[in-house]
Amino acid sequence: MKKIALILALVMIASLCMSAMAEENILVTWWGNQTRNERTHAALELYASEHEGISFTEVPNSWDDYWKKVAADIQGDSIDVMQMDYQYLNQYSENGLLLDLTPYVESGALKIDDVNEGIVGSGKVGDGLYAICIGVNAPALLYNKTLLDENGIEVKDNMTLDEFLALSREIFEKTGYKTNIGYGTDMVFGYILRGYDIDLFKDGKLNITAEDAEKFFSLYETGITEGWLVTSDVFAETAVGTVEQDPMIYGSDPESMSWCAFFWSNQVTAMQNAAPEGMEVGITTWPSADPVKSNYLKPSQFFSVAAKTQHADTAVDIVNFWTNSVEANEILLGERGIPASAATAAGIADKLDEVNQKVVAYINDVVSPNCSAVPAADPAGASEFYNLVDELQEELCYGMTTAADAAARLIDECPANLK
Amino acid sequence: MAQTGVVKPKRTLAEKLNEEHIAGMICTAPFTIGFLLFMIVPMLISAYYAFCDFDILSPAVWTGLANFKTMFSEAKFWKSLGVTFYFAFVSVPLRLVFALIVALILLRTTKITALYRAVYYLPSIIGGSVAVAILWKRMFGNDGTVNVLLRMLGFEGKIKWFGQPGTAMWTLIILAVWQFGSSMLIFLSALKQIPASLYEAGEIDGANKVQQFFRITLPLLTPTIFFNLVMQMINGFLAFTQCYIITQGKPMNSTLFYTVYMYQQSFEFYKAGYGAALAWVMLVVIAMFTGLLFATKRFWVYEDKR
Amino acid sequence: MGMRTTSKSILGRTVYHVLVFGFGIVMVYPLLWMILSSFKPTNTIFTTASQLIPSTWTLENYANGWKGFASVKFSRFFLNSLLISVLATLGTVASSSIVAYGFARLKFKGRGLLFSAMLVTMMLPAQVLMIPQYIWYKKLGWVGSYAALIVPYWFAIQGFFVYLMTNFINGIPKDLDEAAKIDGCSTYGIFYWVILPLIVPALITGGIFSFIWRWDDFLSALLYVSKTEMYPVSLALKLFSDPSSSSDYGAMFAMSTLSILPVVLIFITLQKYLVEGIATTGLKG
Repeated sequence: MKKIALILALVMIASLCMSAMAEENILVTWWGNQTRNERTHAALELYASEHEGISFTEVPNSWDDYWKKVAADIQGDSIDVMQMDYQYLNQYSENGLLLDLTPYVESGALKIDDVNEGIVGSGKVGDGLYAICIGVNAPALLYNKTLLDENGIEVKDNMTLDEFLALSREIFEKTGYKTNIGYGTDMVFGYILRGYDIDLFKDGKLNITAEDAEKFFSLYETGITEGWLVTSDVFAETAVGTVEQDPMIYGSDPESMSWCAFFWSNQVTAMQNAAPEGMEVGITTWPSADPVKSNYLKPSQFFSVAAKTQHADTAVDIVNFWTNSVEANEILLGERGIPASAATAAGIADKLDEVNQKVVAYINDVVSPNCSAVPAADPAGASEFYNLVDELQEELCYGMTTAADAAARLIDECPANLK
Repeated sequence: MAQTGVVKPKRTLAEKLNEEHIAGMICTAPFTIGFLLFMIVPMLISAYYAFCDFDILSPAVWTGLANFKTMFSEAKFWKSLGVTFYFAFVSVPLRLVFALIVALILLRTTKITALYRAVYYLPSIIGGSVAVAILWKRMFGNDGTVNVLLRMLGFEGKIKWFGQPGTAMWTLIILAVWQFGSSMLIFLSALKQIPASLYEAGEIDGANKVQQFFRITLPLLTPTIFFNLVMQMINGFLAFTQCYIITQGKPMNSTLFYTVYMYQQSFEFYKAGYGAALAWVMLVVIAMFTGLLFATKRFWVYEDKR
Repeated sequence: MGMRTTSKSILGRTVYHVLVFGFGIVMVYPLLWMILSSFKPTNTIFTTASQLIPSTWTLENYANGWKGFASVKFSRFFLNSLLISVLATLGTVASSSIVAYGFARLKFKGRGLLFSAMLVTMMLPAQVLMIPQYIWYKKLGWVGSYAALIVPYWFAIQGFFVYLMTNFINGIPKDLDEAAKIDGCSTYGIFYWVILPLIVPALITGGIFSFIWRWDDFLSALLYVSKTEMYPVSLALKLFSDPSSSSDYGAMFAMSTLSILPVVLIFITLQKYLVEGIATTGLKG
């Protein structure tokens, strides 16, 4: 008992000493996989080597765990720099948990001159700037290029919905492969509606009617009636949203597979790695009634500084370093998306591998010239709303409801705080 | 010990400490302290949240019975409650029967049973890992092992185990039964506690193995069966991992466990107050069933009355 | 006559072993699959999931996994897990057994109430206590250390173990206590000299459970530990996967395989004590 108490005391003292020894210890937390952890660590080491007296506490976690941990910790002052996602930005900033970076931009401590104005704007909530984008993305329709080439089927960029439906029918007839219209990918819903000039949310409230919602659900209905939609049991058998188990690359026969997948441009590498040998992954835009109105560059990931940080200046400097240092980004290599700063992006262009160069070309040549402003960040309660969309989609696939009925119920059962 | 009793004042103290009701309190003091120090405060906080609108990120706001009102009018709440009852009432008895049978089979002590015990306990060790989640989907998939085996046995057509509300639940029940290891271990050590002399006496009286099982083993095992039943029932109601890692409630919430619904509300939708209310309702449900079990105890659980 | 029993028992034993072994395969198949998958190149794990034996063998996953994260080697995570699990388990077994003795053998005021309190602590879903517990432990200054992962276990807060041992002690004939009392043993002496040796199987069973549960627990580590070098294995394993981008399943399976090794070893070493219960100590009720 005594020995154990002693060990315990030692462990506690040791951990206290470690945090007290360095002059300034910055806690940086993020979610991601091993590649990201390695690169982030290396970039932080680079920063530490350039700045004496600064050390880092690194707290990587997986996505789910990350938001639990941060929600608990952010009330205290332990977090300095944290990775932020678009869907949580409103909620965190409205609760006063994030530091407004505007004064630092004005003083020049945070340089964002080379960042596209729209991208900077995506980190704004009200008058404050609460997050800096550290990677740009775009919606990307990934497809089994090998399969389509073999069958002489061509896919063109900026497809309209009708062209997409025609293509799905053609592929189903020629190859038997089915189509997955982004089952479980939340943003597809809003994307399709943007093509009709409809914003999903406005001023924190739901902004659509049942007729609007039906435009989306009727895609499912069409696919089911005509037989080319991936059936619901396929989704029950896989972990929806994971790259490795997406029906485009995972499955035993065409009947349970899809020729395409609704993903994001920073997932191309992952998809290509997970694809069976010999399958080339193609990349094009998500279909829409009006692709130019629908499409956008999405700030994929952000850094925010916690409001209660004791090291605001250093924390902001790290965000600045992340945005503007070419050396740091030569380590990061666009793993979170293409650097938001044009100068930085240009600086690392020739260091990228083949797949990532393809992604850069896609973003610069296909999306950038043909897109509109990014939709406003989702209001609190959006995740519950998307969950409802998923459930209705599922019922639709099981033939338990119709597109019209699903649309009516979506409006009816929408979470109270969005009504 | 007797010598220390010579000094008079010391003796009274030692005696006092030795009195049954004092000793009882001293022996159970670790739990009393632990409960007061580590459990009661968090439990009170969560009870308070049950009456609040609390999104974790901002301070809780008192809303009275609002959470409970929403809950009882929410179809998903009733659905998940039903799913959980179904799961608990089917999987727990199956798991216990299975655990008892295997424990009896592995009771004999040979070198190889040590290995067997380890093998049968392994599934419980790897419990909720990602590997199990992936593999389970694979096994019950359209072209999975289970369907292949069924075809070999002459069943036509592929069963979409995960795709149908009726069968998806059974994949989770089978998973729960597959992990019977902990109940098995408890049965094993309880079986070992039965004095061999009782069996010897039984043999002299001419009882065969089956009679011995029903007259000696089973009655003496009832306290352990009762213990396992209470524990597994609590576990069954609070089951989380199977659903969370494998079906996530699909299809159409037919496998949505109560705890997963609660978790979703608390951590995905940030309605932690509502989540706390859900938890306390579950506590009441479990307490009722546990009370019921304890009430039946005297009718079937053997007690040493010597 | 002798011949017949022998051949009959050989046949019986063969059937027994075939059945037990065959069923054993079903039991360990998923584990085998994970272990063998850890030797496949990581990008082929899913595409070749239906085939058990790898077509190309590689140790790359083990090398990748062992590297750990942010210059913290995986061996460090193992040491952390070992420290936490061993200390918490010792505490659980020690405190639960004495508390169980109190419940099983001693009558005192408030026993029923205390026993119910213990049962009730098991009925609240762990997930819902997470945030309140965090708030409270933070007040105690425990965030950022292992205290929250170890100290409470020295206070028998897991009702399961107390109840398990209470149950076992109830199964021990009371005449043993009486005999010891007549010999001049104190109430505490009876626990130490009479009860404790007799509940070794329960202690071992509880010890195995506790160790495995502590070893697998990542939720408390997630909340109370905030430094990569203090992560236990359970939490570190989760860092290999990110559903939205690529996950290194190869490395994850490799490290998962290594992480169950200690548990299996402990089980195999300790399980022989399970067998030596009251039946072998020569006590005949």
